[in-house]
Amino acid sequence: MSWRRIRLLIWKEFIEISRDRAMLPILIILPIIQLLLFGYVVGSSVKNINLEVLDQDHTVQSRLVTEAFTSSGYFRVAARPTSEKAMENDIDGNNAGAALIIPKGFGQLVGQRRPSQLSIIVDGSDSQTGQLASAYGAQIVQSVSSEFYGAGPIAPGSTPAVGINARTRVLFNPTLRAVNTMVPALLAFIILMSATNLMSQAIVKERERGTLEQLFVTPIGRTDYLVGKIAPYFLLGTMQVVVVFIVGVLWFQVPFSGSFLVIGVGLLLFMLCSLGVGMLLSLLSRTRQQAQQTSVFLQMPQMMLSGFMFPLAALPTWLYALTFVIPLRYIIVIVRSNFLKGSSFNSLWPQFTALAALSLVIFVFALSRFQKRLAD
Amino acid sequence: MTDRNTSAENAIEARELTKRFRAVTAVDSQTFTVPRGEVFGLIGPDGAGKSTLIRMLTTVLVPTSGDALIFGKSVVSQSHDIKPRIGYMSQAFSLYGDLTVRENLDFFAELRGVPRHAMEERAKRLLEFSGLTEFAKRQAQFLSGGMKQKLALAATLISEPDLLFLDEPTTGVDPVSRREFWRIISDLHRQGITVFVATPYMDEAERCNEIAFMTQGKIILRDTPAGVKRSVPGHVFEVAVSDYRRAMALVRSLTFVNSVDASGDLLRVLVGPSVDEAGAERELRSSLTGAGFIVDHVRPAATDLEMAFATLVPETHITTAGDQAEVVPQ
Repeated sequence: MSWRRIRLLIWKEFIEISRDRAMLPILIILPIIQLLLFGYVVGSSVKNINLEVLDQDHTVQSRLVTEAFTSSGYFRVAARPTSEKAMENDIDGNNAGAALIIPKGFGQLVGQRRPSQLSIIVDGSDSQTGQLASAYGAQIVQSVSSEFYGAGPIAPGSTPAVGINARTRVLFNPTLRAVNTMVPALLAFIILMSATNLMSQAIVKERERGTLEQLFVTPIGRTDYLVGKIAPYFLLGTMQVVVVFIVGVLWFQVPFSGSFLVIGVGLLLFMLCSLGVGMLLSLLSRTRQQAQQTSVFLQMPQMMLSGFMFPLAALPTWLYALTFVIPLRYIIVIVRSNFLKGSSFNSLWPQFTALAALSLVIFVFALSRFQKRLAD
Repeated sequence: MTDRNTSAENAIEARELTKRFRAVTAVDSQTFTVPRGEVFGLIGPDGAGKSTLIRMLTTVLVPTSGDALIFGKSVVSQSHDIKPRIGYMSQAFSLYGDLTVRENLDFFAELRGVPRHAMEERAKRLLEFSGLTEFAKRQAQFLSGGMKQKLALAATLISEPDLLFLDEPTTGVDPVSRREFWRIISDLHRQGITVFVATPYMDEAERCNEIAFMTQGKIILRDTPAGVKRSVPGHVFEVAVSDYRRAMALVRSLTFVNSVDASGDLLRVLVGPSVDEAGAERELRSSLTGAGFIVDHVRPAATDLEMAFATLVPETHITTAGDQAEVVPQ
């Protein structure tokens, strides 16, 4: 290994990147667009969900419940239908995203401190809003219930709201700000997008332009070449992660309660994975375009099957099984729980082990292809 | 560079060198030598295996079987000793288009371990030598075709190799630049550098000390340019005639004529060895005037390589199938 040659390759790569018009957009515009998209579009919390209130009780208690919903800021009363039929029509017509039904006798049960029931109906056609609405609803009901019944448990089996998953407990993101879960995940996702993407271009580009062949007749060793090729993209990836982190914490105000060591080690492993995948694509592709398309093609399933955007629990079993080989799945858990909850290596070791194993497999495979493939 | 005069006489010694790509045999068990200091030309149609041969000799490709010695070192097992001594210019432009002319030179100089103190002087000399001094700060991708090739050559020369491999270095380059390029090669030749060049141009082959004709993975003919031309049987005439297109058809139909082609508005006629030169000249003239053409002159001319290969290769090609040794004049 010759440090002089490696440094030379890195210098060359950076000059090329800085002058290559196809690379710059991926490098700079991509992370910015991602941040904005995920920060504002996906990440924006849902407010003022239109709520239908069907109060069949007309007591002080029922009015207090309604008030608790409206004063939370998440809901606003859109209508007060008189029958369930009218209420369903409103939801059908997208006039309301959720409905609250307070049955007759609710106030009386509360007065007798006996288990009572509330129904929350959520429009499931917009799952994102629906999920939030049901979670918000459950939270409000919870707090109303402790107000009515006192803090401690009352009679056995007395859950105030029934029918909907009102027991959802929101622990570490009480405001349910989606951006708080989005930004940490984005730290990993940006690596997937750019490290894989850029790396996938790196070797095939030299092959396409014939410079790879030219390098072959120089005394440069394979290790030199490899290190010189990977290092620039490693540095760029790190830079992008730092940008996302800073913007996330300062601009989107995501509270950071994790440790740089845990997140750093996790992201390092994931970076190796992503660079390995990129290198494989670059070695297996014949043209830059082919490498690019394959890399984009691979991103979609990873996004869907990693818990990045959609909860894994909702997947059918066979698809769920597939998620185990997706590195993004593990790193997402690592960054999210370390970032928001400060989880340590002790509790995250299964993810770290899986990620390290996957990195190793991918990287070793890429290296073996590298040895083979350069020759023809 | 130190043992330029001490080790083997030959720059290249190929021994049953073979490369197969699945079912295709690109280079078929070739044994040949190239002496030091020679400009050796490799010609042949596309797909003959010329590039594959060069890529094996430059250690880019590993042979399927056989071996080749470059200055006595094996391309299979001693490529590390070979690389510092050779320069290779592949068919496509293979420098970094995003880097400037000077950056490309510096890059390859550093990579090949040219000492820093020597670099400045060499880069300056090579830029001058290739006429690129004023373009030193231009990105390589914005150079013209001829300048690109000269830059590629300069980049391969920066480490002062003893043996230079050029794979169709002037394809797609304008005639003026081509001439200049060959002037540079002549200079290198005078400095004692061995040049192995594949070219599709016969006028370039003409400038080599020796040429080899390769087809279907085999070198089937090897000689000096003069030797190749001498081996063409018969006589060549240059004919200047009115309406040369129609005249060409007439000449072709004559029984003693082997081939005709037009160069500009002159006809070049190859007459078979059965007729003597004076008789053939008379016959040509009378046939043409008899058919109403106005003949300006019919004069004996030298064979050129193009014509030589056109006549030699189809024959050799057919007879090669059996025994190759008879065909290759060594």
